[in-house]
Amino acid sequence: MKRNVFLTFLLFVFVGFNLHAQGYEVTGKVTSAEDGSALPGVSVVVQGTTIGSVTNYDGEFSITVPDGEQSLMFSFIGMTTQVLQVNAATTLNVVLEAATTELDEVVVTALGIKRERREVTYQTQKVVDEDLTVVQPTRAASALAGKVAGLQINVQDNGVNPSNQILLRGLRSISGNNSALIVIDGSISSEGAFNDMNPNDIAGISVLKGATAAALYGSRAGNGALIISTKAGTAGKTLTVGVTSAYTAEQVAYMPDFQTEYGTGWAGAYDNIENTNWGPRFDGTMRQIGPTFPADHPMETQIVPYAPVKDNLLGFYETGDTWQNTVYISGSRDNSKFYASFGDQRTDGIVPNDSYRRNTVRFNASKKLGKLEVSANTSFFNDYTDVVGSTIGDQNRPLYWFVLNTPANIPLTEYSDWDNPLSYGYADNYFNAYYQNPYWAIGTNRNMDETSRFNGNLNVSWEILDWLNFTARAGTNTTWGNGKNWRARQTYDPALQPAHSTVSSFVEDTKFQSSSYTADAILSAEHNFDLISVKGILGYNVNAYDYSYLYVRANNLSIPGFYDISNGTGSPEVSKNESQTRNFGFYGDLTLGYDNFLFLNVSGRQDWTSTLAPGNNSYFYPGFGLSFVFTDAIPALQDNSFITFGKLTASNSTVYNDLGAYAINEIYSQSSGFPFGTVNGFALSNTAVDANINKEKINTTEFGLNIGLMNGRVWFDGSYFMTNTTDLITNTTPSVSSGSTAFLTNIGQLSGSGIELSLGGSVVKAGDFSWDLNVNYTHFETIVDEIYEGLDEVSIGSTGEYGIYAIVGMPFPQLKANVYQRDPQGRIIVDPASGYPKTETGLAPLGKTTPDFIVGLNSVLRFKGFSVAATFDYRGGHVYYEQGSDAMEFTGRSMASVSSNRQDFVIPNSVIEVSDGVYEENTDIMISGGKMDYWQNVYNEVKSNYVKDASAAKLREFSVKYALPQRMLANIPVSKLSVGFIATNPFTWLPEENRFSDPEFNNFNSNVIGVGGYFQSPPVKSFGFTVNVEF
Amino acid sequence: MKNILKYISLLTLTLLLTTSCEDFLDVNTDPNNPTSVTPDLVLPVAQKYTGEIIQWDRYVSHLGNMMMYNWSQSDGFSWYNDEFLYQVSSSFYQQIFNVSYRNALKQYQILDNLVGDEYANYRAISKVMKAYHFQLLVDFYGDIPYTEALQRSQEATPVYDDAATIYADLIVELDSAITLIKNADPAALVPDEYGDIIFEGEMTDWIRMANSVKLRILVRNSDVDDVSDEIAAIEAEGTGFITSDVLVNPGYLKEEEKQNPLWDDLGWDVGGTQTLSSKATCATPYVLEWLFTRNDPRIDYIYENPENTDDPNNFGGHVGVIQGLDQYDSPVVDAYVPEKVSNIGPGILKGATMGANILSLAEVYFNRAEAAFKGLLPPGDAKTYYEAGIAASFDYLGVGGAAAYYGQAVPLVGWNSSTNQELEAIITQKWIAMNGITAEQSWFDYSRTGFPSGLPISELASTSDRPVRLFYPAGEISSNGENVPTQPDAFTDKIFWAGN
Repeated sequence: MKRNVFLTFLLFVFVGFNLHAQGYEVTGKVTSAEDGSALPGVSVVVQGTTIGSVTNYDGEFSITVPDGEQSLMFSFIGMTTQVLQVNAATTLNVVLEAATTELDEVVVTALGIKRERREVTYQTQKVVDEDLTVVQPTRAASALAGKVAGLQINVQDNGVNPSNQILLRGLRSISGNNSALIVIDGSISSEGAFNDMNPNDIAGISVLKGATAAALYGSRAGNGALIISTKAGTAGKTLTVGVTSAYTAEQVAYMPDFQTEYGTGWAGAYDNIENTNWGPRFDGTMRQIGPTFPADHPMETQIVPYAPVKDNLLGFYETGDTWQNTVYISGSRDNSKFYASFGDQRTDGIVPNDSYRRNTVRFNASKKLGKLEVSANTSFFNDYTDVVGSTIGDQNRPLYWFVLNTPANIPLTEYSDWDNPLSYGYADNYFNAYYQNPYWAIGTNRNMDETSRFNGNLNVSWEILDWLNFTARAGTNTTWGNGKNWRARQTYDPALQPAHSTVSSFVEDTKFQSSSYTADAILSAEHNFDLISVKGILGYNVNAYDYSYLYVRANNLSIPGFYDISNGTGSPEVSKNESQTRNFGFYGDLTLGYDNFLFLNVSGRQDWTSTLAPGNNSYFYPGFGLSFVFTDAIPALQDNSFITFGKLTASNSTVYNDLGAYAINEIYSQSSGFPFGTVNGFALSNTAVDANINKEKINTTEFGLNIGLMNGRVWFDGSYFMTNTTDLITNTTPSVSSGSTAFLTNIGQLSGSGIELSLGGSVVKAGDFSWDLNVNYTHFETIVDEIYEGLDEVSIGSTGEYGIYAIVGMPFPQLKANVYQRDPQGRIIVDPASGYPKTETGLAPLGKTTPDFIVGLNSVLRFKGFSVAATFDYRGGHVYYEQGSDAMEFTGRSMASVSSNRQDFVIPNSVIEVSDGVYEENTDIMISGGKMDYWQNVYNEVKSNYVKDASAAKLREFSVKYALPQRMLANIPVSKLSVGFIATNPFTWLPEENRFSDPEFNNFNSNVIGVGGYFQSPPVKSFGFTVNVEF
Repeated sequence: MKNILKYISLLTLTLLLTTSCEDFLDVNTDPNNPTSVTPDLVLPVAQKYTGEIIQWDRYVSHLGNMMMYNWSQSDGFSWYNDEFLYQVSSSFYQQIFNVSYRNALKQYQILDNLVGDEYANYRAISKVMKAYHFQLLVDFYGDIPYTEALQRSQEATPVYDDAATIYADLIVELDSAITLIKNADPAALVPDEYGDIIFEGEMTDWIRMANSVKLRILVRNSDVDDVSDEIAAIEAEGTGFITSDVLVNPGYLKEEEKQNPLWDDLGWDVGGTQTLSSKATCATPYVLEWLFTRNDPRIDYIYENPENTDDPNNFGGHVGVIQGLDQYDSPVVDAYVPEKVSNIGPGILKGATMGANILSLAEVYFNRAEAAFKGLLPPGDAKTYYEAGIAASFDYLGVGGAAAYYGQAVPLVGWNSSTNQELEAIITQKWIAMNGITAEQSWFDYSRTGFPSGLPISELASTSDRPVRLFYPAGEISSNGENVPTQPDAFTDKIFWAGN
């Protein structure tokens, strides 16, 4: 098989390249208009013939031109093609201008291959460095939100070390990975590596939106790809030294919308030690809170007004600080280029004592040695996170829980002195008998983690012949680290805190290493035959991935404050987790062009993977595409000044999603608690595996239209795509009575479709003033077509009362929850005896959790040295589960719980069933327990009460910058100086019914999208300044 | 030509890189998890699961204790709302259904699937324990997946089988287990004390266990079916019943994840801290009064005796809370905080290393008493079995004086004082004996017989009596919707053995 692929290639490579000509020789040099540097590799063709040449390393060419009147065409990627009459001259020096139009722009495609936009048969979008650093984000991913049609970035939490979810064109798999592939400098990398990059080091990101664009990457291409290029040093600039600094202050953007009418108490009665808000209505009288101290105790009983304390929870959060400094040096000389940077980030979070620091080092260098070009891109990353623990107290709760369990009349910020025995913040003295002081939580629960990463690759590019290039590339993405989590023991004085249980102590140590290695060998050839152009690639790619994780935990520590495994009592818990995967593939890609306006692309990849059974572990990915530049093809459209460029594309590809390591076998694992001395035990996994499990297939078809108006001043990109996933590798949910809770098999079909529209350009361009605007619109939807006979839904994460499902005939992912029984008119049916609403026994689908549409808007205003940039996005048409509101209903803090003034009431718009199917309006049957029980036991049980509109409009980025004009810099050794005000998420608009948190927050970086708000802290916004100086 | 040679050498190099590609890809063996293990590593896990399903917080016995008014809730906790509301829903105690199948039965089925005469004993143990679990599931749910259950990838949506038919087949399975043991080849594998954490491989005990489970099934069924032949067959078989409490004990230790499941959830954690569930859970005044007024010394063993009490309504210092109490602070503020009420007692919570009780000797005696009283066993033995049941309960709790207790001329205590209410006496005494141990048995008895009579219901109940069954779990409705029956009425649709 392999040999055949190569034979085909050899045939294709050696097809007639022997050119004979007669005439005279023309020589010359081609240079760049921008910096005067020589341009190697420029194609020089005698128009109307097959005679061609390419400039050498010094930009020089020599070509034999037939006698007669002849024109030479000079073309180079990223430059405007020029045609010059020879007029019998024997020397011709040519200056090429950088292309300014969309269609001549260079597109970085799969494998780092550069193509002219006109040749590309699928949709891509480029994001340049300055778009990524508008507000100096700490993570480049967050800067992509709102800027690329088809791309959804979910900022999943707002901790000091946040995580993002990167989705292109929605979801294609129920159980499999839907995140975009990350490629850095041509080598397959990871989302972690992308997050660990210093955004200032990124030169640009090419977003390959669909599977077709990424198909050459094999099994991980199905979700599109972000092709990231790092800075390399600019030719012609000998040395640049610069510093970019930014300071931002983070604040809580908004707290949950809570009631402030009722305070501490239970069942309507005041209670001085309650975490709940079921007391009487606030009356401003002075009341005891917290324990009653015995007579001999130095503390006096705490008395506070029974009245709401304004922003009592908000005050707990601090203003966070982030300092970022990047020093960079870049330069070029004698065929060498380099870029080096050092970055330092220090962050103090909004949660007291949360801190994060990271350092990034990058060194990129390249050198040309005759026909060889060698380049290396390396980066090292190290970070240290120190944050509050995640399993606090005797119920293992997150910090936010303790903050939220503070009634409205409690002056929370007065409890910060938690380790002083004579403070009300001290464990024994704290007002709350059930949940601890959040300041105490911060001091006695820590999670610390140090992670390092080396990411780099080495490229050797050998220009064998003018038309033939061989590139070899080897890269690694290795990350390692260790973590320590600990919790201190806390005992209580039973006289002061009778309800508290001792909080047990533990220490956990973790150590992990993950290494991935990738190598490519790529042979590429190109040649023009008169009207036909041929570009071909043959390649080989191999990947290896190793992972190991070691976990040790010791409980009930003997020595307070000593967090070492040796300090534990009983046997420590130890586990080790390792995995390995390998795969390799051969690929080929052929682009045939006709007269520079019609292009056909055919590609294929044959892959072998370690994760499937031998004999069944190889598969082929075909791809096809067409690009038609109609403005060049149709004579009537040529040379018109309005529609200057227009291109239509169509493409189709098939890719496969692979299985995870070891997933083909059912396994046993040591059962929890074992061994008991010499008694050992192994349990069969709850996941049953189909004996014939295989890869899943994703077929993508895409149509695109790209238009440039008025020489690129206004441009439009539109695309429509359809994906069809079959044989989905899915953890289906069998009946638990089958003896398994998951059944991994290939089932069913998902079909997705969507449109992406981008319209951009220069709205105003007058003298020193310009206004660039870009609007993009994305709509996508994934429908579950079928699962399998007898099964019409799959749960991918459910509590039994609410969860995320794939349901036949509905958009995926779908949020389901239990709901009220309603009559045909939609009125709630109540029980005639209790007045309580009746609920359906099953769960009802209530909406999808990915947006129906995303609208992004980017605006840049420039006047002289000033620029004002803003990125706004609006997402809508989806729902999310407000987990925080659900959790807080019990405490009587919700707005709903005061909607009837804590009285019994008749459920509005409710009915009773008087006989089968006959309903009568309920006017007088009241619910009971309106003071508390109804809300806790009835209302809180109907989880659809917490399914909310997830729409959100955000001003994500805003900046005002000023760059000093050159004349002011003339007398100082500074070549560039700019200062700016920057803001992230300064404004967010949410629908009225969403009273809790940011719907973008999510508990899991998985397909269980749309459940969040309780494990995260409240949403934040940030403001700050940035300075950039270059010498 | 020179160039062509270069290309060829290049390509050759590339090919060499992958010559050993099958070796290169041969990394798909999980280094952390085996794909097959021997039966002596499977059985202890299954048995430990059984102990957990019976004894864990909010599992089988816990539900029985809530339904049978044995346990209530201390002040400061909102622990048992659903229980007090009798809120039988598709999520209420769904873990009983889910965990029985996905943990214990899954694991026992591995042994039942073993092929070969050498595994006869393992298969027999598996059949006995499967019958034990399937009976419980029928008792909680009625019709359940049985004939098509536990086939994992072969059958994702098992049909539901008729409850009475399952009951009949469980007898067949138990008989076949006994036959397997009796006919086992001497060379057949017998688990040792590390492989069988119930009977340490004593196969005669497994026959006794099989007979005891058969008796449990037949007595439960005795009101709606003629079970006389089958009970006679147990007698004829001759090995008899269990002779001590059936305890699961892998070697529980006072260590994280290694404590007895009841102790770990409702007792004290490894650090010596009383768990929140333990603090939250306490006696009811009704049961305390029942025990106290009948001079039952077990009161100090079933329930803790708090050091001090503020409640005037106490029983020798014991304080209980009525189920679903609204105002905990009246008439006396803080009278019902955990320190001042009777939490679960030392006869139930014996220590971190105690075995998990899955079938008590007392219960078997009471089942024999009921069978004898109904004439299914020699009727004269009813009194003997009844008193032996009480004595076994005293023994288990570690308290003396059983004979003095049942010697009282008090109805429902002394056999001779319970004339014409013998069945009520048996079931009521069984209720006390099962308190905190396997209390679900009393809930089934209550649905079947209405005894103990006069048992209060929760203050929060909106119905006139307690539920008689559970709802099918939400997971079954979504994953096996075509087969799962419509939800019954949890208060009126009794399980078949209770008649209607």
